[in-house]
Amino acid sequence: MLLLLSGIAASAAPRLYDRLGGEAGVAAIAGSLIDRVSADPKLGRSFKDSNLDRIKKLLAEQICDLSGGPCRYSGDSMREVHAGHHISEAEFFGMVADLRAVLKEQHVSQGATNELLRLLAPMKRDVVEPAQSTAQ
Amino acid sequence: MNAPHLHRPIAALLLGLLAAQANGGAVTVNVTTRTGAAAGDAVVVFYPLDAVPATTRDTAVIDQVNKRFVPRVSVVRTGTAITFPNSDRIRHQVYSFSPAKTFSLKLYAGSPKTAVTFDQPGLVVLGCNIHDNMIAFVGVVDSPYFAKTTDTGTASLNLPSGRYRLRAWHPNAVAALPSRDITVAAAPLNIPLAIDVDGTSTAVAAWLE
Repeated sequence: MLLLLSGIAASAAPRLYDRLGGEAGVAAIAGSLIDRVSADPKLGRSFKDSNLDRIKKLLAEQICDLSGGPCRYSGDSMREVHAGHHISEAEFFGMVADLRAVLKEQHVSQGATNELLRLLAPMKRDVVEPAQSTAQ
Repeated sequence: MNAPHLHRPIAALLLGLLAAQANGGAVTVNVTTRTGAAAGDAVVVFYPLDAVPATTRDTAVIDQVNKRFVPRVSVVRTGTAITFPNSDRIRHQVYSFSPAKTFSLKLYAGSPKTAVTFDQPGLVVLGCNIHDNMIAFVGVVDSPYFAKTTDTGTASLNLPSGRYRLRAWHPNAVAALPSRDITVAAAPLNIPLAIDVDGTSTAVAAWLE
């Protein structure tokens, strides 16, 4: 009985994917975020000359996959994607700030926002390149 | 002098080598635009009309440097294995949808370079999935006699004596150039070629037709 109840509870709780607005919502979040960061003077350098449509598509796929949607992320690992770009901690948190702004713009609830950020947070260690320990 | 002491077979071999060198000629092709400007990166190919030399296993390199293909234009003989190193610290994804060679390669920084064999003649256009502006051309030709013009529009070759069909191509040509039959002998040849180019067009369709 307990098992049955918990089963019902799990299926009744809306997936994060749906709380992000499903396919259209996730596409809008990914698209707006990449538009914002590529135009951001503090973050844009890593997106120079890049195929932004491709990044938007893969980011949407990744968010869909992470949030329980019907997608399988087909891109490279976060470590491979960011290798050589020397992403700083400030740039990482700059992108997080842009993502928060985009989620607010898309009327995503605070709960869903926190849940998504919690899923993305562990990627920091693969995205950020530790500062070189060169002599000052 | 040592010459009289040469063994007869060696002397014969040396004479043979000298004869082989003399049996041919220097050919210079000057490619200009219709307005007379030098056309660099033009491909000139001499197709032998007599005997075609046996195929070899050639190699070439196309590097990735500062989000560009280096070189932008390559010409290779059919069967050449081209390696794709990545001198950038970021990754690239090289692809071609061209019928002569369709492939896709993931190039990570610091990974071993990967070879692709271009086994069909034709023009192969390369792009990078990740970086929109990266483009390169690989002309794959059924002849070992080809060259690419320098910035001054000049290509120089030494060709064995014989008859050839000369064809030329340029990435910005607006139309295919008519082919021209030439005969190479001992005398140096100087061949001027004028092409219609347009910096805004990429004349993929005009490849050596």
